Amino acid sequence: MILGIDVGGTHTDAVLLSREGMVASAKVATNHEDLLGSIRLALGEILKHDSMEGLKRFNLSTTLCTNAIVQDELDAVGVLVSAGPGIDPAHFRIGTAYSLIRGGLDHRGTELTPLDLEQVKGVVQDCRLQGVKVFSLVGKFSPRNPDHEQQMAAVLEGKCDFMTLGHSLSGQLNFPRRIATAYYNSAVWPMFNRFANSVSQSLEELGVSPPHLNILKADGGTMTMNQARQMPVESIFSGPSASIMGCVAMCRPEQDAILLDMGGTTTDMAVFASGDPLIETESMDLVHRPTLVRAMKTRSIGLGGDSAVSCSDQGLCIGPRRLGPCMACGGQTPTVVDALNLVQGLCFGDVGASTAGIQELAKTFQESAQDCAKMIVQTVCRELKRQALELLSRINERPVYTVHELLEYRKIEPQKIYLIGGPGRMLASFLQETLGLPVVVPDHYQVANALGAALARPTMEAELFADTRKRVLTIPVLGVNESVPSDYSLDQARTDVVGRLCRHLADRLDWNVSPADVEIVEESEMNMVNDVSQVGRDIRVKSQIKPGIVPDYDQAVRCVCKEL
Amino acid sequence: MQRAVNSMGIVFFPAFDWAISPTHPERQERLLYTMDQLKEEGIFDLPGIREYKPDVAKMEDIRRVHFCFPDTGSNVTSSHLISAGGAMKAAKLFAEKQEDKSFALVRPPGHHAMKVVHGGRGFCNVNMEAIMVESLRDDYAIKKVAIVDTDCHHGDGTQDIYWHDPDVLYISMHQDGRTMFPGTGFPGEIGGPKARGTTVNIPLPPHTGNEGFLYVLQNVIMPILKDFQPDIIVNSAGQDNHFTDPITNMNFSAQGYAELSRILNPDIVVLEGGYSIQGALPYVNLGIILALTGLDYSYVLEPNYRPEAVQQEDRITDYLKKVSDAVLKQNRSPDTDAISREREGKFFVRSKEIFYDTAYITERQREYLLDCDHCPGLLAIESSSSRTRNCLGLEIPKTGCEKCTELGLQMFEQSQKEGRFKNIQLIDRIHGESLRYRDDA
Ligand SMILES: [Zn+2]
Ligand SMILES: [Zn+2]
Repeated sequence: MILGIDVGGTHTDAVLLSREGMVASAKVATNHEDLLGSIRLALGEILKHDSMEGLKRFNLSTTLCTNAIVQDELDAVGVLVSAGPGIDPAHFRIGTAYSLIRGGLDHRGTELTPLDLEQVKGVVQDCRLQGVKVFSLVGKFSPRNPDHEQQMAAVLEGKCDFMTLGHSLSGQLNFPRRIATAYYNSAVWPMFNRFANSVSQSLEELGVSPPHLNILKADGGTMTMNQARQMPVESIFSGPSASIMGCVAMCRPEQDAILLDMGGTTTDMAVFASGDPLIETESMDLVHRPTLVRAMKTRSIGLGGDSAVSCSDQGLCIGPRRLGPCMACGGQTPTVVDALNLVQGLCFGDVGASTAGIQELAKTFQESAQDCAKMIVQTVCRELKRQALELLSRINERPVYTVHELLEYRKIEPQKIYLIGGPGRMLASFLQETLGLPVVVPDHYQVANALGAALARPTMEAELFADTRKRVLTIPVLGVNESVPSDYSLDQARTDVVGRLCRHLADRLDWNVSPADVEIVEESEMNMVNDVSQVGRDIRVKSQIKPGIVPDYDQAVRCVCKEL
Repeated sequence: MQRAVNSMGIVFFPAFDWAISPTHPERQERLLYTMDQLKEEGIFDLPGIREYKPDVAKMEDIRRVHFCFPDTGSNVTSSHLISAGGAMKAAKLFAEKQEDKSFALVRPPGHHAMKVVHGGRGFCNVNMEAIMVESLRDDYAIKKVAIVDTDCHHGDGTQDIYWHDPDVLYISMHQDGRTMFPGTGFPGEIGGPKARGTTVNIPLPPHTGNEGFLYVLQNVIMPILKDFQPDIIVNSAGQDNHFTDPITNMNFSAQGYAELSRILNPDIVVLEGGYSIQGALPYVNLGIILALTGLDYSYVLEPNYRPEAVQQEDRITDYLKKVSDAVLKQNRSPDTDAISREREGKFFVRSKEIFYDTAYITERQREYLLDCDHCPGLLAIESSSSRTRNCLGLEIPKTGCEKCTELGLQMFEQSQKEGRFKNIQLIDRIHGESLRYRDDA
């Protein structure tokens, strides 16, 4: 059996699954002051149905780190940055203890200026005097050569609780993002580890002891709790990815499609390309700082079931405000749900209250309540359509760098809409009409998030970079940094990155992946020329294990997914 | 985090699968390290800077600029269409006010491609700036264009295309033609008889440093631009003046390029040459982008930078003062003998021999420009090359009069009947059309 819990902004959802289907589910309100309490509450609800004996895996998706970052409840981090020429690294300052260390590398990882180790020692000492216990060490172009970061780490060894080395985060080149990501990772580390300890303790107290405890990431994959303790920043914004993975588990999309997850205040939009959820090429922003945290490509629109409806000089005004619940549930202001109540004849809650609220609005437009409600629903659908088209045009503008790719460019053209979330279901027929695409509402849409968290499998990305002139090879995220012969080839590089990735997962995560499950997503091989002769090759291969559903549970919640 | 003062659209297309030949300077690797540097700097994350995909130029876009022989298709590859399309996209971003500025960071380059094209010369087949400028003039209400070419080589192709066009100011500063390909670009080259002063050439001696470039910019280029009052300024931004460039001899630096960009303040930048792909391009491109978006570029220093590398000798400083004065004088009151007056009847004529160093082709041309009282005049070019003989190009200018239009169409018909030319192309810039006749017999 698998247990999945998604601690969301409003609700904490839990599901218990066997290979045959859903055993139990629960929904409790999230208490932001006490996330652990919310988890315990949801667990208690599930335990009422089942003792969870034989539980194999517990996957958790939590807003813990996101909240801490957004509310700036972070520990002080000693950020040590070494940079070569380019933009002045002073512009990338983050946190309260940011220091620039003399030393630098160029774009091939060649040392231009040696690292000033004396300065490193001084900075570390100052930080420790100020009580700083966690550090982030970031070098420009460190994915090409981690040497400067490692030299700084050697100085810090034994003098701190935790340190994040920039190159271990990603093989992607982006210095400002590397700095921000390394900073946040260390900044949430103490809190996340306290939380991880309490979760283990709580499970023990409740008599639940799954052999595997995993945390959901923003890219729709999982990581082990032990991994998460080292890389807590990867747990941010896992909510949207949980619902996307829920949709994947239930519907198994195969075509280009759009997913709309309509909640109370917002609607999250995601895109599938040939059935695979799209992942952000550059990854997500945190408090306006772009990071290297891999995430699903989503767009959040300030429009949900509880969005207040009012009228202004410009006409109808929907959201982004939320003024309490809908009138059908005792609220004071008419909302989108109230409009749907009328149009759909839903008999949801106090229909009279919904009607009265809409009636009041309708007076301004000199319309009937029915027509006014219709107008509201249509406005919502049109806005969702506009946003979807804009997101798609952005996606279809993605740059490519070869003549071949540009001429063979495949645009994403959705064939279907998947609709989940509470108010979503009521909107289905209207959306189908406005968007002109078939709409599918999966069966267990109310707990899609928890399902996604429960059934997601691990993901991983690794980039190999080889320079046969310097005879070096690095795979930054796997900590590989070694020499290669001068005739090292792209073929060998492909084999190496896949093999190393599989070995890493087997050794570190006890997860056996067949090399066939590792995809090569980008590769290039270029001659390096000096004057007129070839002096080496620049080889790059990027591989990934894409998000997916754990294989032995792939039929657990598969739904019929019939179109309307 | 910094925020761009001027927004900029960067059309980045490094064509990682295209080269003239595997070890040619114009090869796959050329923009690889520029890409690495820009990505590592997080340039595309800066608010106000956005990356765009190039458009693909259509054959019509090329046909309205060039007389291509034997035909357009055999002179361009997909990569040329994408590079030209990249420049056109940059123009569109600016003209439609989506961005304050735009930068076509694309390859292959184009400024050695002339009006008539028989093959590749100076690594260029078709002229990206000209294809872009003509799209701007046709699709948007832009009339007067200034092209400032800061590549180390004289942009003889762009000069040739706009030689007779009074609405396009072409200014080039480059290493002296006596010491460098293509061997042209002297102060006496000031434009055709009907477009005097809208071509400006400033030859710089080898080893001109930052000071010299900026002196010429401030004292020659900026005043001439001010006189001309262009609707738009385009910078053909070659980066081969860099002190580490393997095929040139200048002492210019990334800081120099950034400073030049800040002062010139172009609306659209199009990459041209530049072959120090590791030591210069990553830093020069970064410097240009930061300078034009109004961001701090003080820290952009190439690794092997030494102050001596960008200094120039006093004799160069003195020489540049003289050249600058001469160029300004030539621009404002041209010597009468600098104006070509050779005529045949109502036509101004000139003869040219052109060598295509990339394609190993030689071409002979005889050019006729009608001395019209109402417009820049009908242009006819008779051309024969070692590859394609007996070609004729006819062009009715954008602001052409009725008489020139009629004569152009008439000559197109008549020359087909006469049979002297086997391959004839007519460009009607007024109606944006191109007609071709081919006698393959
Ligand atoms: Zn050049
Ligand atoms: Zn005329």
